[in-house]
Amino acid sequence: MGEVNDAPADAGAARRTAEEIEGGGSGLGVAELLAKVAAASRPPAAGADPGPPGGGLPGAAPDAGGGSPAAPSVPAFTGGPDELASAIAEAAGRHLPDGVLSPDADFFDAGGTSVQAVELIAALGRELGVDLPLDEVFADARPRSLARRWLGAADPEAARPPTDGAAADPGAAVPPATALPVPAPAPAVSAPAPAGRGATGEPAGARQEDLDQILADLSLADRLPWTGPPEPLPPRCILLTGATGFLGSHLLLDLLRHSDARVYCLVRGADEEAATARLGEALRGYALPWSAEVRRRVTVLPGDIREPRLGLDEERWEALARELDCIVGVAAAVDFLRGYPSLRRSNVLGALTLAELAATGRPKPLHHISSIAVFNEVGITSMGEDDPLARADRLIAGYDQTKWAAEVALRRARDHGLVVTALRPGGIGGHSRTGAYNPQDLSSGLISAFGRFRTVPAFRYLNAAPVDWVSRVAAAIVCEPDAWGFDYNLTGVPNTLDDVVRDMALGGMHVRVQDWDEWRADTLERLRADPVPELEFLTRVLQSPTALKLCEATLKGPAAVDERTAALVRALGLPPAARYDARAQQRTFERLSRDGLARLPQREDPPYLWFPETLQGAVRPVGSAADTPCSLALTLSLASMYQLVTERRVDVAGELLCTALHPQPLAVERGDVWVRPEEGIPEEHGMRHPLLRYRLLLRDADGGRWWLEGRKYARARRDLWRQTRALTVDIGRQDGPPLLSGEVVVPADSYLRDQVDGIRVDPRLTDREKRAAKLTWLAWFGAEVGRGLLGPFARAAADLLDLRRDQTPREHHR
Amino acid sequence: MIRRTRRPAPRPALRAVRTGTALRPLRHRLSPSAVEDVPFRAGDGVRLGLTRIRTAGRPAGPAVLLLHGHTASSDMFLLPETRNLVDVLLDEGYEPWLLDWRGSCRLPYNETGRRYTYDDVALYDIPGAVARVRQEIGDRPLFAVAHCIGSLALSMSMAAGLVPGLAGVVSQGVFLTPRLAGRTSLRMTLAGELLKSRIDHIPVDFRTVGFRSKYTPLFALASRRAECPDPTCQILHNSAWGTGASLFVHEHLTRTTHDRLAELLGPAPLWILPHLRRIELARTVVRWNDGDLRYRALPRNALDAAGAIDAPVLLLSGSENGLWLDSQELCHRVLARRQPRLDVAYTEIPGYGHLDTFLGRGAALDVFGHIVEFLEKRR
Repeated sequence: MGEVNDAPADAGAARRTAEEIEGGGSGLGVAELLAKVAAASRPPAAGADPGPPGGGLPGAAPDAGGGSPAAPSVPAFTGGPDELASAIAEAAGRHLPDGVLSPDADFFDAGGTSVQAVELIAALGRELGVDLPLDEVFADARPRSLARRWLGAADPEAARPPTDGAAADPGAAVPPATALPVPAPAPAVSAPAPAGRGATGEPAGARQEDLDQILADLSLADRLPWTGPPEPLPPRCILLTGATGFLGSHLLLDLLRHSDARVYCLVRGADEEAATARLGEALRGYALPWSAEVRRRVTVLPGDIREPRLGLDEERWEALARELDCIVGVAAAVDFLRGYPSLRRSNVLGALTLAELAATGRPKPLHHISSIAVFNEVGITSMGEDDPLARADRLIAGYDQTKWAAEVALRRARDHGLVVTALRPGGIGGHSRTGAYNPQDLSSGLISAFGRFRTVPAFRYLNAAPVDWVSRVAAAIVCEPDAWGFDYNLTGVPNTLDDVVRDMALGGMHVRVQDWDEWRADTLERLRADPVPELEFLTRVLQSPTALKLCEATLKGPAAVDERTAALVRALGLPPAARYDARAQQRTFERLSRDGLARLPQREDPPYLWFPETLQGAVRPVGSAADTPCSLALTLSLASMYQLVTERRVDVAGELLCTALHPQPLAVERGDVWVRPEEGIPEEHGMRHPLLRYRLLLRDADGGRWWLEGRKYARARRDLWRQTRALTVDIGRQDGPPLLSGEVVVPADSYLRDQVDGIRVDPRLTDREKRAAKLTWLAWFGAEVGRGLLGPFARAAADLLDLRRDQTPREHHR
Repeated sequence: MIRRTRRPAPRPALRAVRTGTALRPLRHRLSPSAVEDVPFRAGDGVRLGLTRIRTAGRPAGPAVLLLHGHTASSDMFLLPETRNLVDVLLDEGYEPWLLDWRGSCRLPYNETGRRYTYDDVALYDIPGAVARVRQEIGDRPLFAVAHCIGSLALSMSMAAGLVPGLAGVVSQGVFLTPRLAGRTSLRMTLAGELLKSRIDHIPVDFRTVGFRSKYTPLFALASRRAECPDPTCQILHNSAWGTGASLFVHEHLTRTTHDRLAELLGPAPLWILPHLRRIELARTVVRWNDGDLRYRALPRNALDAAGAIDAPVLLLSGSENGLWLDSQELCHRVLARRQPRLDVAYTEIPGYGHLDTFLGRGAALDVFGHIVEFLEKRR
């Protein structure tokens, strides 16, 4: 395959760029901030050290072993753990919307974002001399644990806290980790704190303290009340969590559409008004309706999935336990960088609280949105609905661990009589009709990067389905009692690498395939060299060792199997799963490029296909008969097939020579040709249907600006050959009325020579791709022009048929 | 033993001597006192249906005239089994008026061959109904919500300046620039020309024609590759009266609506096809009667006269409209370039087809919100 892309900038250039950024600038870019962290952590004497080579997280891998705190540029903090925790909490508070953070509260739970976390690390290094790798902060962002971790790294004796996590949890329902009958840790992960890292800095497995916490959390399921089977009736009163999220908001609408139920939405917010406003904003943001008709069937409950009793008062909780007949748990913190302790309250304890509500009072089915991430172990062989899940100690990303823990805990809840349905979507792609997508989702970032850099990593399968299908099937399961209580993989039809490459080639974006490591390094290199603010989160993911493991497991995993889901879809007559192909992705891709994530081929890019066109004829001033010769030498080009399909437009460059305008040739500044403009609707009543419309903006040698508007018309006449070549033109000064009009014609002998033989295709494509591009264009253009020419004849024929006598027998009807 | 039965002789129709045209009663779940049947004849003397829906104990709000599509009827806005447009409008304080123009299946004209063209609808039915409603409501604002051919005819009336001063118009499916798929257009012409000497309408209810009838091949054709076994659904959903288009997304109808399709959509007359074909091939709404001076109030081409439209227009269309495709988007584009002065907006309803924008079980959630929002802004 040819070189579609420019060769990536060499590492030296990237480093220079990084150093330039480091030297000055106080923006908020992650790259700059990371650079600052790295600078702060380096001993002054080693200032000339070029730093870690491109590809690794600065400070993360080499420093995690604990060398650098000994030589900070700012005197290291000397107080005890409590003082340090308070100091960190105070510093962290400044980066939060509320302005304060308790030493035992999670930075992210308190509303902190990843960007703010990066800023916080920079601030800690600068002010306290406390240098923490980004990954450690993401793993557990409570100031007290950060303090312990840093002190522990400096002094291994102080590393082990008496109880980790339990006391700090406001839920306070977790018994101390040490009190649990924890099985002996596997040798592979018994590496010393702070993390179970291999010698290379790559995480080899889950951290022991996370595993302890997971087992402690699982045991909470044993405290659920015993309950009986729910009434097998379609729900009338549903509690939905996560309605402001991407899947949740689509699911809310599908539940309303396909049931008669009233839906209670648990939404974070100070009061009902604020929560309602948040829900409305979220729905509108995803191009979903938020009208009075939706509002009259939705009740918003201000609450929080992370709080005991969902943050509701006792009375409300009791009332819900009595009234509800169905619970749908969609809410989850989706973040591939954060660790288990940071995510467990949302993803594990939240699910258990919902189970408690489901088992309290009237028995209710609980439908839990899990994730295919429960299989996210590198090297897993199958991902069927009833296949064993991954082994928890081989899950590395905190997100995977929490989804695993929640699903396993709810399996135990089934033994208490609770009917639990686990729905496991894979990647959730953008809506196939509206194009609404999840900006934080990995697949949005990956698709954008594929299209932008024209490279894809060699993956096996992408288990992704559009959100409309996932939400429709989930809603159907919720409304169908016979479907309750099983596990479903809502993964749709997996895309193979070949599928994706072919889809992109169809759109005129020929991509080249790279090995995963090569692709990652290459993409990071390009994102660093030319930062795209909208893709910063992808940059972060590609830099985080744990998130990388998650990506790797996803890309190298097998195809998910969804037999039970497929059977259900057939039985209920739902739209069958279809591959998430180019057509389904088109709207999403448009939206991604509009929002700056992806990039569609533009007029300024090197063209995909082009050919010359010559026109000769004469124009005369309006209202006069004095002809002046006029000729055009144009180049018609396409940036991609996409512009043909959506706009039926071709780009034009070239020049016009007409002495009536200027003795010198006029250059085309911007030109477009529309094929069958406006479906060939005549400009005025009659039989002249426009076939092509030319619109050129011209500039003469003296800087004067002109416009040219031209049309080829189809008529019910026998001079078809001429109709395709003759262009009726009007020319005028910019923003002025037409001054000249006339007709220019493509000479009969140059027409085929230029426009068929003369077609040139992007030289970076392979021969086969070039032939395909040329034939696609000719077939498309031929069909369109044929249709255009046929129009007037069809009208004439219809007039003829209308002359037939109507000899309708008066029908008798029974 | 099965005896061979004699085919019963067709029962002769009684010639109407003393009685006039009677409308089939509406099916709804409103209080009978809320539904008032207003006697109404069009300008050329044809009996039509006009229904006013009131709410007791509330000051009357702006009126909304609802126009159904060809072969449908006002019943499409009153479905008792779902939350329908009339419910929503009443709750928002509007006064719905339902017009059964001459293409309604509550009236006998489609079937008995009292012929008309869409010119008659644009010239007599709609302007007459608007005038009649205005008589009743005084100077309260009057909106119109129109579907399919009702909307196409309304566009002609508006371009002719026959219904001035509407406060706003919501048009669903098609407005000034009808566009059919090439295949649909071809099949419509072929079927029309082949059948015009044999039958004059295409029925949709298999039960009324029986198994052995000259319509059977049509039903058989419509059942090709159909997923639903119901012949009425096949000829509508899978074939749109033999043209091969699709009228709605099957999944969007409730079971009850699905089983009532034969009541909601009546037979389609074949003699309307020449006018429809002329309109479709010109890609704009054009007048049929060129030599008849009675119709000179209508412009030859409604798009050329679109400058006369004086009301804000909301163009609605389902993204999966299988009959009129992207006609509304095209109309929005064309009007934005040729008549930039007009107040025209376009809203696409993701995932919806043509008829289900009103008949669908989720129409209140997905469609009516847009309509009410548009009306509220111009109230």
